[in-house]
Amino acid sequence: MKAVFISFNQAYQYAIVQIMDRNNLRGYTYWETVQGRGTKTGEPHYGSHAWPTLNGAILTMIDAEKVDNFLNLLHELDKKTEALGLRAFVWNVEKSI
Amino acid sequence: MSIYSAAVKKPVTTALIFVAVVIIGIFSLTRLAVDLLPEIESNVILVMTAYPGASSSDIETNVSRPLENSLNSVSDLKNITSMSRENMSIVMMEFEYGADIDVATNDVRDNLEMVKSMLPDDAESPVIFKFGTENIPILLLSVTAEESTNALYKILDDQVANPLARISGVGAVSISGTPVREVQVYCDPYKLEAYGMTIEAISSIISQENRNTPAGSIDIGSNTYSLRVQGEFTDSKQLLDLVLGSQNGKTIYLRDIARIDDTVAERAQEVYNNGTRGGMIVIQKQSGANSVNIAKSVHAKLPEIQAGLPSDVKLGVIVDTSTNITNTINSLIETIIITFLIVMLVVFVFLGRWRATFIIVLTIPISLIAAFAYLYASGNTLNIISLSSLSIAIGMVVDDAIVVLENITTHIERGSNPKQAAVHATNEVSLSVIASTLTMLAVFLPLTMTSGIAGILFKQLGWIVSIIMIVSTLAALTLTPMLSSQMLRLNLKKGKLYMLFFTPIEKALDALDHFYSKFLHWSVRHRKTVIFGAFMIFAAVMLLVPTIKTEFFPTQDNARIGVTIELPVGTRQEITRDLAVQINSEFTEKYPEIDVINFSEGQADSDNTFAQLSSSGTNIISFNISLSSVEERERGLLEICELMRKDLDQYSEIKKFQVQAGGSTGGMGGETSVDIEIYGYDFEATDAMAQNIAAKMRNYKVVSQVDISREDYIPEYQVDFDREKLAINGLNVTTASMYLRNRINGSTASQYREEGDEYDIRVRYAPEFRQSLEDIENIILYNAMGNGVRIRDLGVVVERMNPPTIERKNRERVITVSAIVAADAALSDVVAAANSEMRAMQMPSDITWQIGGTYETQQETFADLAGLSVLIIILVFIVMAAQFESLVDPFVIMFSIPFAAVGVVLGLSITQTPLGVMALIGAIMLLGIVVKNGIVLIDYTILCRERGMSVLTAVVTAGKSRLRPVLMTTLTTVLGMLPLALGTGEGSEMWRSMGMTVAWGLAVSTMITLVIVPVVYSVFAANGIKRRRRAIRKSVMRKQQTRLEMVNN
Repeated sequence: MKAVFISFNQAYQYAIVQIMDRNNLRGYTYWETVQGRGTKTGEPHYGSHAWPTLNGAILTMIDAEKVDNFLNLLHELDKKTEALGLRAFVWNVEKSI
Repeated sequence: MSIYSAAVKKPVTTALIFVAVVIIGIFSLTRLAVDLLPEIESNVILVMTAYPGASSSDIETNVSRPLENSLNSVSDLKNITSMSRENMSIVMMEFEYGADIDVATNDVRDNLEMVKSMLPDDAESPVIFKFGTENIPILLLSVTAEESTNALYKILDDQVANPLARISGVGAVSISGTPVREVQVYCDPYKLEAYGMTIEAISSIISQENRNTPAGSIDIGSNTYSLRVQGEFTDSKQLLDLVLGSQNGKTIYLRDIARIDDTVAERAQEVYNNGTRGGMIVIQKQSGANSVNIAKSVHAKLPEIQAGLPSDVKLGVIVDTSTNITNTINSLIETIIITFLIVMLVVFVFLGRWRATFIIVLTIPISLIAAFAYLYASGNTLNIISLSSLSIAIGMVVDDAIVVLENITTHIERGSNPKQAAVHATNEVSLSVIASTLTMLAVFLPLTMTSGIAGILFKQLGWIVSIIMIVSTLAALTLTPMLSSQMLRLNLKKGKLYMLFFTPIEKALDALDHFYSKFLHWSVRHRKTVIFGAFMIFAAVMLLVPTIKTEFFPTQDNARIGVTIELPVGTRQEITRDLAVQINSEFTEKYPEIDVINFSEGQADSDNTFAQLSSSGTNIISFNISLSSVEERERGLLEICELMRKDLDQYSEIKKFQVQAGGSTGGMGGETSVDIEIYGYDFEATDAMAQNIAAKMRNYKVVSQVDISREDYIPEYQVDFDREKLAINGLNVTTASMYLRNRINGSTASQYREEGDEYDIRVRYAPEFRQSLEDIENIILYNAMGNGVRIRDLGVVVERMNPPTIERKNRERVITVSAIVAADAALSDVVAAANSEMRAMQMPSDITWQIGGTYETQQETFADLAGLSVLIIILVFIVMAAQFESLVDPFVIMFSIPFAAVGVVLGLSITQTPLGVMALIGAIMLLGIVVKNGIVLIDYTILCRERGMSVLTAVVTAGKSRLRPVLMTTLTTVLGMLPLALGTGEGSEMWRSMGMTVAWGLAVSTMITLVIVPVVYSVFAANGIKRRRRAIRKSVMRKQQTRLEMVNN
């Protein structure tokens, strides 16, 4: 099991959930609005007057063998519209119930 | 869930909600009545008190004064004026507009109860009369007849007036110019004397002979019969055979003493239509009824009525007030359509995409149609004010939709899915959209709170624009994102046609962006020069202020002229008629613009409601002239009036004349006049003053006509009875004067009945026996003993000058000199002339003067509106301060307001338009519109600074990026005003100055705002930074100091 944390421009939410559905990735936790900024490029997403856009975040636990394909699909999505901003991070799940 | 995400998720619901709004709006529209102006409740109450036999000064002291003193305490009273003439006191109370006239009427009634006991015993009870719009005739019909002339009154009364009066909403229908049938018993005074008969005796015999009497019932056999005596005459000729008595054994018949003329009343008003004798039917409406609807029903009924009339009787229309209303409204609707097209074009040129244009432009009909629902629900009408509000709003409703759509497009271009883009992009701008709508509401909602005449007019404007703005904001936040999510696609490919058309536009706009950012770059680095320059422009334009003329409302060209001509009192009707015919033919010849010309002269009948309200007499001619419509003629209404005045000046026999542009409609849009009111008790002194000032005013070119309100002394014959002689002969003044009246005026003996109608039988001296003073002196009066005495033995007949009506205003005697403003002059010109002449005049200390009339109302309205602007500026400031959460930023934006004034002054001065109420309303609207540009600029500048730019870079970047949206919203508003400003249709005078003010003010202010607001902002921002740095430095120093002290310790 791996944990995948996806932080993305709100506008991606629908597309990401669609990808997950298509790949049989059922469970996830979704935060509708989170704030943040990228390490290198991209505009901050603060939902403020200066930076009005907001991020959403999804935390999903998936089987290790599905991770690569999922990340590739996400990367493809990001490539298509780089201006919006989408990042995903993966780490191990030690235990679960 | 926010409303915009709900709207995007539920497109069907959203679309259908707006469809429902449109359907309700259209439903209301089909039921809306059409009128010229919003309903103005009458604000005048008349109190009429008869005191028979009293002279005008008696009336003044004993009736008018006590009434005035008591009625003066009624609340909301603006002016109280009174007219005291022989036998009659008329107190006119003018209330503030908007006061509840029913409450006022009750107050007046209560006050009258109290004062009644103070009135003279012989004075009759005061009568309250409310003067309202229902007294203005809405339709004048002409009637021409040949063979049927003598029976015309009966024909018209039965077949025209009665059916017309049954139409709902029609008030009184009066017939003029058709004499009423009367049976005249003309007696010969010599024969009367010879046979020892009197007029009174003949009268009473006729009345006793002409009677049907039921005599009861009688049982004959098994039946009961009623018994009757049918004594009434069945033919007027039967009168000749009446037996009056006998003398020397011979029977005296009426034919021995008198002749019977079964003819028409002797004195009657005569009416000529287009030069031929005929009649006139005056139709007045009921209070609150709608003129256009009534006129429509009347027109629909006329063919049916015409068909039932004898073939020689023809009906026509002299004046139809509804034509003007319909034409005015149509020309406004045309203006609205043109405005709509222009706005659509501007949006299309700037956006270059038809889908986007469609989404934005769709908000226009939706919000405008929603306003109709309000109009219907609040019982208002489609009128000049409501429709021009729509026209004003068109350019502004698209602003919100533009902002929303622009942001959605940006999001889509960045790669968002249209649905997501629509929700998030709308979310980003929703606050600023709502804030900009709030600034508009801060301007238009206070308009609904104005008082006075401006309040009545602009209440609707305030509500309509506010409602339209709210609906358009709602549409921008729901319908626009919904449609965008459905219709907008990321489409980077552009068609050939698009490239052909829009490449040059794109290039031009790019060049403009570039030029503007360069100029801004220079400006923010030369702040002092720019601010000084702007101040100089402001100061220079303000020097033009004295050249601006002011007015109240522009005179509207409604193609109607009313002319009243007064010949010396006592001029015989024949002479008056000849002159009228002469003037009639002169006018017809000189002014081919005349469609219908109608005049009436002579004493009106007492049962003619309309004629009673206007003055009539054998010496008075009144013309009603209808011109062809504005588009069809070259000469304007005022120009023609001016020429007519010159023509009438040539007639030396005319004592006084009045040419009234706009006819006698009253109210707004008529000719403006300056009333110089001279207050003083002494008749002679005030008369002299009035004559003097009138003569001086006539010399001014800006004045086209001067009238003095006080009438001349009227010559008349009076019979002065010697009371002693009367007493010796067993007579008194009452009986003696009754005798006199019966012989000259005649006594109505009885009624002659024919086919259900009654006609008076009038007994009096034959006309040939009442033509000279001797005839009067020879009249024999009989006392109770039956002895005859001639009037010459009882008193003398003398010629006297009867004092004129005594006019008072606000409890002082007044004489009003009114000067009518000439065609190419403004109210302020005449006020200036009047002021300078009055000040130059030597005046006794007990005479005071003031300028009233239109000027007074204008000053009050201007003061109202000025107070309103202050309120609006404060409200706008509050809204902006709340939006920016700062006091400095709104202050910076406020700098665009003085430059709006610059634009207005420049516009008024260049086009030589006088500043009236409409222009002032335009200026007030500007307060809200011009700050919107500033808000857009400053908002984005703050955003840039928050993103970390330096002040100057932020200002320039923001300017460059916001130039197009600012230009676009400004252009939609300015170009949207152009059809109003340049309109030439009927009634366009009314809103021309408003359109012009907004167009000029906004155009100039936008140009200057685009430079001055960023510059002033950078000054304040730089100061703010300096202040903060200083504060930091101070606190650092203080900390260092404390540390040093600690070390030292």
